[in-house]
Amino acid sequence: MKDKEYIENLIARSLNGNCTSEEILKLRAWIDESLDNRNEYLALKDIWDTTRVQKDCSEEQLSLFYQKQIEKITRSRTRWIKYSSAIAAILVAGLFISTLIFPKSEIRSAGFQIYTVPLGSRSSVVLADGTEVCLNSGSELKYSSDFSANDRVVYLSGEGFFHVKSDQKHPFIVKAPDFEVKVTGTQFNVCTYSDNKFSSAALAEGHIQLKMNGMKDFFEVNPGEKFKLDRVTQKYIIEAADIESELAWKDGEFIFKKIPFPDLVQRLERWYDVKLNYSGKDLQNFSFTGRFKNQETIWQVLDALKLISPIDYKKTTFREFTIIYKPLKME
Amino acid sequence: MNEFDKLFRNYHRRLFLYTLKFIDNESDALDIVQNVFIAIWENGKYLQNEGLVQAYLFNAVKNSCFNYLKHQKIVRKYEQDSILLNEMELIYYQSGEKSLIETESLKQITDAINSLPLIYSEVVSLSRIDGLKNHEIAEKLNISIRTVETRIYRALSALKEKISQKSFFILLNMSGVRK
Repeated sequence: MKDKEYIENLIARSLNGNCTSEEILKLRAWIDESLDNRNEYLALKDIWDTTRVQKDCSEEQLSLFYQKQIEKITRSRTRWIKYSSAIAAILVAGLFISTLIFPKSEIRSAGFQIYTVPLGSRSSVVLADGTEVCLNSGSELKYSSDFSANDRVVYLSGEGFFHVKSDQKHPFIVKAPDFEVKVTGTQFNVCTYSDNKFSSAALAEGHIQLKMNGMKDFFEVNPGEKFKLDRVTQKYIIEAADIESELAWKDGEFIFKKIPFPDLVQRLERWYDVKLNYSGKDLQNFSFTGRFKNQETIWQVLDALKLISPIDYKKTTFREFTIIYKPLKME
Repeated sequence: MNEFDKLFRNYHRRLFLYTLKFIDNESDALDIVQNVFIAIWENGKYLQNEGLVQAYLFNAVKNSCFNYLKHQKIVRKYEQDSILLNEMELIYYQSGEKSLIETESLKQITDAINSLPLIYSEVVSLSRIDGLKNHEIAEKLNISIRTVETRIYRALSALKEKISQKSFFILLNMSGVRK
């Protein structure tokens, strides 16, 4: 009986006192004596643990949680890139396959030949003069049936990468809605989606001449530079460009560097042929950097974005998502 | 509104309390719980049905605690015995046994403590609310440490009795269902 009392006190001491290691060994010996002893001890300790009144710090911890997620973006962009390419390494699917299934459609009409590429797909064409054109999702390339090595004019809406067959005597001309590009032999990218605020032309190699609609004079763009036109104000600049990311799309990669959220949304919508809704101004202030191999599903891309920025998303209907801004709570 | 936030708010406190069963360091315990939430956020498992999520969370905490204790055994050699005791307890729960923290509403348990005779509820709340150790309670109440220990033991036995009487259980489970 004395023994039992001793054990009872020992249990209470172990729960809320200072046991010497000798006492712990004694307690342990008693626990190991029988399953009943063990269960008794564990049941009492469980009740004891349950009664602990802890200041509820879940709100602070939730803020801390989001803070940590945000830190991940700023701490290391490279890790973010690694992360997305890791996904890419695992997955083989997506766009490449859809390109095979839905090839560009070719229409002949009124003396024009038209190539269209559906959203969520990419395609390439070799023209009669040997020029190669890669067309990005949702683009259209049109040229006269008379197109030949001597008369090289094409019309583009959307985005296309041109690898023009060199011919000094017969310039190759790309007519975009707002401007035209004249080249003799070079590699360049033209981006002129009608729903984009900006149109652009970026040069990888050689040199190009560029003329705005309604203007007489051509001006030159050098390799590594990009002509960027604000379609609303019709103001343009020529700036140094990151050609690698400008051209990544043609190799099935999706690279973006410090692009604002609305631009990212627009590019994703086109890339994946989905609709992404969002509201509020908060999101517009975020800029994003990342790299996808384009074999991820839209879900994976959104999950990745969710991980690095204060957003959440919900699928609303078929091919439609809503992105929600989920701010840090500062309490 | 947001699934993840809801989950975090529902479970954080419990998981923290649960972690403290095995780990006496509060800030390490908070880290463990944070990391479990990060994992469930990253792997998207939080979107599954609540029963699965709850089991996942508690298991993840247990596994983290297990690794933590394993590490502590190496770092804190001189406290081997109490770590081994914690480990024994943890293994018991890893075998599928459930703690009251996992199964019951915490408020009901505090209510049950308050229904105990004052001399018992007093020592419990001095420890559990005011954070006093046995010798501090003894000083405060001007009784011996042995008496404090005896009262704590009796208080716990009485609570255990109530729980095994099932009425307590049914009460708790009903509030669990309503939730």
